[in-house]
Formats: sequence, C-alpha cells, structure tokens
Amino acid sequence: MSFDLFKAETEIIDNAKAVIDNNKTTKPALKEEFSALLKNYQKLFKDSRRLVRMSDRNEAQLSQVAKSLDEKSKVLGALSEKLSKYLSPQVYEMIFSGERDGGLVTERKKLTVFFSDIKDFTATTEDLQPEDLTFLLNDYLTKMSEIALRHGGTIDKYIGDAVVIFFGDPVSRGIQDDALACVKMGIEMQRRMVDLRAKWLDLGYERPFHMRIGINTGYCNVGNFGSDDRMDYTIIGGEVNLAARLEGICEPDGVTISNETYMQVRDHVPADPLEPIRVKGIARDVRPFSVRSILDETGRKKRFIRKEAEGMRYFFDLERMDTKRRKRAAKELERIVTTLRDE
Amino acid sequence: MDSIKIEGTDRSPEIEFDFTNNKFSIRGESYPEDVTAFYGEMIEKLESHFSSMDDGEIEFNFELIYFNSSTAKVLMGLFDTLEETAEGAVTVTVNWYYDEEDDTMEELGEEFAEDLEAATFHMKTLET
Repeated sequence: MSFDLFKAETEIIDNAKAVIDNNKTTKPALKEEFSALLKNYQKLFKDSRRLVRMSDRNEAQLSQVAKSLDEKSKVLGALSEKLSKYLSPQVYEMIFSGERDGGLVTERKKLTVFFSDIKDFTATTEDLQPEDLTFLLNDYLTKMSEIALRHGGTIDKYIGDAVVIFFGDPVSRGIQDDALACVKMGIEMQRRMVDLRAKWLDLGYERPFHMRIGINTGYCNVGNFGSDDRMDYTIIGGEVNLAARLEGICEPDGVTISNETYMQVRDHVPADPLEPIRVKGIARDVRPFSVRSILDETGRKKRFIRKEAEGMRYFFDLERMDTKRRKRAAKELERIVTTLRDE
Repeated sequence: MDSIKIEGTDRSPEIEFDFTNNKFSIRGESYPEDVTAFYGEMIEKLESHFSSMDDGEIEFNFELIYFNSSTAKVLMGLFDTLEETAEGAVTVTVNWYYDEEDDTMEELGEEFAEDLEAATFHMKTLET
C-alpha cells in the first residue's frame, strides 16, 4: 500500500462506488440521488486536488520571489550603506526615511555655521608625497568628522582641507543649543589637534597641521540646490560667507565666533572681543570674538599636559588615561628623572 | 524500527523520528518538489508504528517556518493519525513551536489544535 496524499477521500469514493455497484441501495430514486451526490463529491474532490496543486505552484513561486526580494534588499542595503558615506548621517536619514522629497526645495532657517581650514595648507604640504598627504588629510578629516557627528553637526562638505558644518538643520535642538554645540565642537576639535600633532610629529611629519575655525549664527537658505538631475543639500547666504571670513581672520589653533554666536553661548564659553571687521555683503560692522582658554580649560581640571623644548617633547591626554595607564606613565617618568639626574 | 534522520534543505524540513523513544520532530520549511515522495514512506512508517502501540507515550514536536498546501494536507492526515492513536491507551503530546512574531504559524497551530481532543496540543513560542 503506497502513500497517497488523498487516501481518505479516495477511500470514501471507492466505498460509495461499492455501495452503488453492489446494489445495496434498492430504491431507484435513492440510488439515483446517491449517485448524484457521489458525482458531486468526485467533482469537488477533483477541484480540491487541482486547487492544492495550483496553490503549491503559487507558494513555490512566492517563496522564490520572497528569496529574490531578500537578496535584492541586501544588495540595496549594501549600496545605500556605501552611498551613506557621501552624505551627512542626518541628511541620509532624512532622505531614506522619506521625511523630505528629493526636489529642489529650500527654506530659510537660523543656523550656526562652522568653517575650518588648515593654516598654510599648500605651503605645509608641498614637500609631501601624495600618499603622505592623503594619509594626513584623511586622518585629520576622519577625526574632525567623528567629533562633528558626536556633537550633532551636519557635515555639509569638505573642500580640500576646509570643512563646512552647520547646526540647526535637518535636526535642531533650538538656536541657542545649536550654537553652543557648534562652539563646543570647535573647541574639542582644537584640543584633539594637539593630540594629532603629537602623533604626526612622532610619525615624522615635520610641519603638522594647525587649524583655524570661524563660527557664525544667522539666517541661511538651506535645502537642495542644483538641478533636478544633480543636487547638493547645502547652505547659502551672507551669514555663511561671514563664517568663512571669521575663519580667515582666526589665529591658528583658535576659534573665532561672531557677535551673534557669542550672544548665544556667552553664559558657557568665555571669549575676548576682537576689532570689528567689514564683510562684503553684510551692511553692518561685525564684531568677532576669540574663544578663550581653549587648551588651558580655565575653571576646569586640565586635560592636557604638554611641553616642547629643544631636545624634549611630551604630551599627556589625561582624559584618555585610566588609573592603570597613569601609574605606568608615572613609573616611566620616574625612570626618566633618574636617567636625567645620572647623566 | 530504525530511526529516521533527514537534514533540512531550503525546501524540505529536518526530520527526526526516534521510534525507540517515541520522540518525533519536524523542523524548518516544507514545500518539496514532490510531497508524496518526501513524506510518503515516513508517514507510512509512522502509521504502522502508531497502530502497533498498545500503550506508552508519544511526543511530536513541530517547529515549522513555512509550508505549502500539500504539506498542510500531510499534516492534517498526521494529526488525524495522532488523534486516533490517542483515543486508545497511548498518551500523545503535540508541541507546536512558533516564532512569537510569526502570526501565520501561530494561527495555523491554533487551527490544528481545534481538531484534537484525545491528544494534548501545546502552543509554544520559540526562545530567541
């Protein structure tokens, strides 16, 4: 006896046929009615078998389609992951969540705009091999971008050694908090540069980068600029130019902010006023402020210990040293003191 | 009777039938090219084994992710056999495992459970 998926149904039909064939039903009317019922049952059974077969085929096809969709989804996921590297995470999220359309739409918003560049970049790097320049620039931009993202900045673009970041779009924590986050980011970047310069010097780069930063708060146009075929999510406006100008007058390793930004952060960030400047496209005189004590961290526990002199250079980043590392460093220093005294 | 152990594929489930200890399990996806060829022999063995039992306990575990209509027909027949076996002196326990996010498998389990009276049917969520 071999397995039959429809064994039960087949048995019912066989039994019914036997009843008819053996004349168990003697009344002709009843026999006729019984035969009609059996015929209908056979028809329904045939339909059921057909439906199961069709259903199996459809389910197999659906399963294949689902697997194919899964694979395509994985491919698209990997592609969008690659694409995301070309966009600021906030902009990527905004596009992929469908929050905003991809049209040429802009809006006017009060933003805090950050500009930075490397002082004398061309002169500093003209002696470098392209591979070394690539390493330095990528190392620098990577570290700065990490800090920017941690503070919630939207990285607009890199222009060679220059970085443009803004706060307040697509996500805003309020004008004051956006400005404060931007200035704190600038300060952290300059502090991190101390660390990076020490590293680059150790790697043999004789003229490590020094960064200048300009920050301004004001109304800008933000959104998609370009054409329907190729667009950039960016900012434009006189206030953007002012941030670039402030960066231009900034002292190396410093952070220069506009009066408008200073008004937003003055309760948290000490700064010294500079001479007013005139900026093309802005009718008023602009009073810049230089953020004070970026590396000394007045009023707070010192993070960095650094000293450079002929034949000597040391640098400690206390935030990155736990108790074990500090003890190890102290022992090392004791050995150095002994060596220096014995010489 | 020798145990049956079949590795699962992307179209057919993993089968573990331990006739000595009366523990049986079907796991995975089930939409084989030929349902009769895949299930035929093992179902016949099960029916033969269950009909030979006078008493004892049977544990049948189902852990299915997806199955087609023909497999559903096989399962309905299998539940009928288990119910008939449980109507005698054999204790039959069916465990229907499903992912707690899989509403389809949960509903199918509940429907199969409706047809069982003598056999005990447990709905169990899979631990993730």
